Amino acid sequence: MGKLFDELSKDPRLKEGLKTCINCGTCTAICPAAEFYRYDPRKIVDTVQRKDDAEIEALLRSETIWYCGECMSCMTRCPRKNGAGLVIMALRHLSIRLGYFTESEKGRQIWPLTKALNTNVLQYGYCVHPATFAFEDHPESGPVFQWALAHKEDVYARLGANYQGKGPGVLRRIPQADLDELKAIYDETGGTERIELVERYSRAKAAEMGMTLDEYTAYTFNHCSPGHFNNGL
Amino acid sequence: MEGKPNKEQVAIIGAGIAGLEAAHQLLRLGYAPVLIEQADHAGGHVAEWNRLFPDKAPAAPLVEELLEQTREATLILRAKILSAGRLGDGFNIRLSDGTSLHVRAILMATGFSLFEAWKKEEYGYGVYDRVLTNADLEHWFNTGDDTRIKGDLKRIGFVHCVGSRDVKAGNTQCSKVCCITAIKQAIEMKERFPEAEIWCFYMDLRLFGKKYEDFYIGAQRDYGIHFIRGRVSEVSENIDGKVIVKAEDTLNGKPVKVTLDALVLMAGMVCNRDIQPLAKELSLSIDDDGYLKSRDNIGSVTRSDRKGIFLAGAATGPKTIPETLAEARSAALDIHNFLSGE
Amino acid sequence: MIYQGKQKIWSDYQKEIPSDHWFYVRSCIRQSFFPGSEKWFLGICRDMLGKDIHETEHHTTCGGIAYHCDVIPQLTAMTIVARQFALMTEAGYKNLVASCITSFGNYTETLETWREFPELEARVREALWKSCRREFEKPEYVAHASDLIYKFRGEIAEKAKFRLVDHRTGEPLRVVEHIGCHYSKMFPHKGVGGAEYPCVLSGMAESWGGRIIDYPERRHCCGFGFRQYLVKANRGYSMSNTHKKFESMEPYHPDMIITNCPGCPYFLDRWQYVISEQTGKTYGQNGYGIPVLTYEELAGLVLGIDPWDLGLQIHQVAVEPLLDKLGIAYDPAKKYLGLNEKDIMKPGLPTVLRCC
Repeated sequence: MGKLFDELSKDPRLKEGLKTCINCGTCTAICPAAEFYRYDPRKIVDTVQRKDDAEIEALLRSETIWYCGECMSCMTRCPRKNGAGLVIMALRHLSIRLGYFTESEKGRQIWPLTKALNTNVLQYGYCVHPATFAFEDHPESGPVFQWALAHKEDVYARLGANYQGKGPGVLRRIPQADLDELKAIYDETGGTERIELVERYSRAKAAEMGMTLDEYTAYTFNHCSPGHFNNGL
Repeated sequence: MEGKPNKEQVAIIGAGIAGLEAAHQLLRLGYAPVLIEQADHAGGHVAEWNRLFPDKAPAAPLVEELLEQTREATLILRAKILSAGRLGDGFNIRLSDGTSLHVRAILMATGFSLFEAWKKEEYGYGVYDRVLTNADLEHWFNTGDDTRIKGDLKRIGFVHCVGSRDVKAGNTQCSKVCCITAIKQAIEMKERFPEAEIWCFYMDLRLFGKKYEDFYIGAQRDYGIHFIRGRVSEVSENIDGKVIVKAEDTLNGKPVKVTLDALVLMAGMVCNRDIQPLAKELSLSIDDDGYLKSRDNIGSVTRSDRKGIFLAGAATGPKTIPETLAEARSAALDIHNFLSGE
Repeated sequence: MIYQGKQKIWSDYQKEIPSDHWFYVRSCIRQSFFPGSEKWFLGICRDMLGKDIHETEHHTTCGGIAYHCDVIPQLTAMTIVARQFALMTEAGYKNLVASCITSFGNYTETLETWREFPELEARVREALWKSCRREFEKPEYVAHASDLIYKFRGEIAEKAKFRLVDHRTGEPLRVVEHIGCHYSKMFPHKGVGGAEYPCVLSGMAESWGGRIIDYPERRHCCGFGFRQYLVKANRGYSMSNTHKKFESMEPYHPDMIITNCPGCPYFLDRWQYVISEQTGKTYGQNGYGIPVLTYEELAGLVLGIDPWDLGLQIHQVAVEPLLDKLGIAYDPAKKYLGLNEKDIMKPGLPTVLRCC
């Protein structure tokens, strides 16, 4: 029994996600990520099932565990009631905790995600919010939404939203007292500690790569190296 | 019961091949077996089958021979058991046709049920037009009648382990006969459609019996059948009504998608739940897989944990035909020993 | 395709959805991209059908997207969920209805995980008390907002001004439904119709006169993939999955797509635009795309609500070809006006995808 496997075992998602695997491949067969990336969820589950610490450590430092889209389609079909997606979530959690995530390009993306999403949650009370949805970062949202964002107060008012307003309604401003409660939950449950830890490791990696933190944020958000895709690219 | 004086009656529940073979042996041992069958024919599942692995021998002569050998036995078809219980040192069984039996020994030859393939929803049985089961295919071999088999098939798939080895489907056991049946049916389809490409999607190939492995070698070498180690994950239908199958070729580590003219689901043997009320009436134990429980699974497979009640064939778990016939003979001998006080 | 076969499976997954008194929790994505949908969900359920649906300004995101981007621990996500439950309990409600599939999955997963690991529930209760001084009862029933529209589909059909029929030919419209992975793939029994043949959307479309199309990649994910869309470097994953679905549905010539999850319609709409820019290909008729609607937008159209009140103008794929088929009148001049007909200019036009 390896130490890393023991650590993984403490995560309820590992207990839910890995009972006994027979390597039948039903998960990989319908996995959206397996069609796109060099990725095979069956092999990941099998690696964890083997409880070999060296192999698990290699996974935690790899690109592989970051390819999953957490759609959980794998859970529907497994004949042994496993969920490869849940195993992935446990692996990612441990990779972040141990700071291994900065060793892969896809893992390093945890930093821009941590920054953007937690800012939205803690400052607005939303995971996604028009105030922080920049068209430059989302050109695929199209000319209509570019127009909508440029005129957001008018567009949301036209559609009956209560944008940044008091009281209930669509896109209402969430009262500060409630945001304070979210912050208190983060403090109490390890959310804040997680943000600080990700920032600490990311700063160190940025320095190692000779970048400022802002450069590192933009680079990890935008850059895609060759080699990830299963079509040889 | 009238007739057959002086011979002791033995009740046999189920007139499939286990019941028939046991009746045959009990007749020879000097008893008067009474076969109680709920269907309108004897021979059980085998009577519905066309040919048998591994020799592709036709099923009909086997059933005919068994029926011939049991002509002297009493056969009650369309029978419904109204009650069954202990009476004195034996059992009393009342049937809906008014028959009442008093016997010292009962043989449970109640067989299996075929997994209802529609329950594996992702395989689209009963939803997609060209998806059928192993049993449907045997019916088609027998009658040529099945609208799901259309025209000259060019691409055919077989899915192993449908409803077997499946925690979610509630059946953890291996159905044992499906791997070899799939190979038999794949070969038979190749004989009928020589141009067809045929794929078998399997989790493990469990080819344990005499000549099974040779049959497998032949399927690969002589018939060019493809074997893909991967459990089918999803079946869908395209605009031409053809079947699309998704699996992973796990030996290659790559998802595969094939479009087929027909897909055959190897629905496995599952326990026959219809007999559970009777088992309860007779205080028979049900195993955690839903099958009747043998006294033990090594030396006393044909004995139940109740005095005077014996078990044979797929009532206790998936069995091949030779195993079933052997158990039926063994159970007949057990019954004889029991009744003759040894 | 054997329709009765699907019905047989649907009948195995019918949920007993309570008919009234709901605590409503909103969706971050639906509010941002389909604000009219949430407005009209309440408009239909409260004002037209007279249901009691309670909203408090104090509720927040469920944290689901952050959780599935792996940027908050499971305990944090569960405690945010528990806080929503506490608000529900304080307001005196027992039924929770979520406007988002990720949320619905998050609430369901939380409750199922607590059932399996009661010690986790205890830990969450303690964390919620320490951080917010709140306590909660677990909801008796968790629904997705589409479950309610599904439940009321017959009443909506009775009040309908339009049917999902091409009024020029009398033919039912060909409708593609897209369910959203977290609705029932994790817990099939929590969704109307199960995971393989869900009927939550097909039930609506059929009640309102449409014909459902089943196509090979129907069950495939839209491609959101959380981090696979939110990080720019990964977006090829997202688009390639949407592309795969469109290629698969194309031969059936769908008139529209209806969606369950708030994210899916965004991706199915926007990636059609990007595909057209990158490859020149469009999937609708005459250079248009295939309109992608939320179920609230579809219910609203059927009930005769003005398309620009519903918010169909902020879709990238033009909906006018669909409105023309349905025989719904609209004023093109008012499409992009603000409140009180304020002029707020118009969006630019894509290079390839035809828009109005």
